[in-house]
Amino acid sequence: MPPRAPAPSAASAFDFASLVRRHQAMVFSIAWHLLRDRAVAEELAQDVFLSLHQHLAEMESAEHVLFWLRRVTSNRALDVARRRQRRPMVSLESAPEPVAVTPTGDPLLGTALKKLVAALPEKARAIVVLRYQEDLDPAEIARVLGIPVGTVKSQLQRALALLREKLSRVVGQASGPVPGKE
Amino acid sequence: MKAAGLLTLSLLLAGAAPAQQVKWNFDKLAARASDTVDVSLDGSLLRLATKFLSDDDKDEAQVKKLVGGLKGVYVRSFEFKKPGEYSEADLDSFRAPLRPPDWQRIVGAHSNEDGETVEVYIKSEGKGIGGLAIIASEPKELTLVNIVGAIDLDSLSELGGHFGIPEVDVEKEKKK
Amino acid sequence: MASFEDELRSALRRREPPQDFTERVLARVAAAPVRSATRMSQPWVRWVAAIAAALLLAVGSLEYRHYQGERAKSQILLAVRIAGGKLNKAQKKVQMVTHRSNS
Repeated sequence: MPPRAPAPSAASAFDFASLVRRHQAMVFSIAWHLLRDRAVAEELAQDVFLSLHQHLAEMESAEHVLFWLRRVTSNRALDVARRRQRRPMVSLESAPEPVAVTPTGDPLLGTALKKLVAALPEKARAIVVLRYQEDLDPAEIARVLGIPVGTVKSQLQRALALLREKLSRVVGQASGPVPGKE
Repeated sequence: MKAAGLLTLSLLLAGAAPAQQVKWNFDKLAARASDTVDVSLDGSLLRLATKFLSDDDKDEAQVKKLVGGLKGVYVRSFEFKKPGEYSEADLDSFRAPLRPPDWQRIVGAHSNEDGETVEVYIKSEGKGIGGLAIIASEPKELTLVNIVGAIDLDSLSELGGHFGIPEVDVEKEKKK
Repeated sequence: MASFEDELRSALRRREPPQDFTERVLARVAAAPVRSATRMSQPWVRWVAAIAAALLLAVGSLEYRHYQGERAKSQILLAVRIAGGKLNKAQKKVQMVTHRSNS
C-alpha cells in the first residue's frame, strides 16, 4: 500500500502530494537535462521535493511554488554538475561534438541536439534548458538563476549560434560519403 | 464638441462608487487564437508594479504617474492564423456590457489601410469617469482593453512616441 | 520543416520520472527524522529556531515579492504600450477627419 501524503500543516493550504504529481516532470526534466544522469537526476528531484515540504509554509501561491521549484532545481543541479566535473570546464567554442549521426529524421536530430546541449558549459546549458524546456523569457531565466538579464541574453545567443554550427557540422559529416561504398 | 476634444479630456474621479472590471468571456476566442497576450493586474499588483517603475527613466516615470490611481488593468490580445476566425456576433458580445447609461462610446475609427477598427468607450461614475474600454479589431487580431479607475487619456495618448509607438502628426500625414 | 528552435524544444521537452516517483518522495518525507524533543526543549534552541525560521520566511518572501514586482512591471509596460497604441491610432484617425472637415 503506498504511503499516505503527510497532512498539510495549518500554515499551508497546499496538498503536497498533488504538488509533487503536478511538478515532478518539470523538476526531473530540468535535473535530467542539466546532469544527463538519470539516477542522479532522480535523487536530486526527490531532494528538491523534500526541501519543498520543509518550506511549504513559506509558499504564497501556486506561482511561488513554480518559481521556487525552478530556482532550487536549477541551482542545485548546477552545483552538482560543477562538483562532479565529468568534463573539465571548457569554453563554448571547444565543447566536444557527439559522434556523427545519420540524418534519418527528427528523433536522431533530437538526440544529436540533446548531446550538444549536454556538452555546453553548465550555465549556458541551464539557460538553454530553461528557455526551451520551460519556455521562460530571458528576464524570467535571470530571476530563476539569480544572474543579470544581459548575461542570459548574451549566453543564450552564443549557445544557440554554437549549437547551430555544431549541429550543421554533425549533419554535414553524416551526409558525406559512406565509408567503403565510394 | 470636436471629436478630437473628446480624447483630450483629463478625467478625474470625484468620490465615485468603486468601478468594476468588465465581464468578458474569452473562452471561444482563446480556443481559436494562435497566440494570446494576457495581462491582468488588479489594484494590489498595480501598486506593486509602481514600486518597481523607475523615476529616473522618463517612460517608466510617466507610466507610474498614469497607473497611480488605477484599480485594474486588463488586456487580452488574440492573434489568428487567418481572417474570419471571429465574427461580428463575437464583437457584439464584447460590446454588450458597454452600453448606456454606464458606458458611452466616444470614438469609433476605422482604417482602410490595415482594416483595423478601434472603438473607445468610457464609463461614467457620478460626475467623473470610472473606466476605459477599447475594442480593436483587425482581420487577424483582436484586442480588448479594460482599465478600471480614473484614467488620464491625455497621458495614455501622450505615450505615443514612447515604446516604439509612432507620434501622431497630422500635418506630416497630409503632406504625403 | 521544423525550425531549429522547434527542434530544440522537442529535444528538451519534459520527461516523466519513474512511475513510483511520487510514492518514493512521500515515503522519504514520512521517514524524515523527527527533531529530538530534548534538544528542542531548551528555551534558547527554540528561540534560535524561531528566529531562523522567521528570517528564512522573510528572505523567501522578499525574493518572491521581487519576482512578482518585476513581472508586474513588465506586464504594466506591455499593457500601456498596447492600450496607448490603440488609443493613439483612434486619435490619429479622429484628428485627420477633424482636419479634413475644417480645411
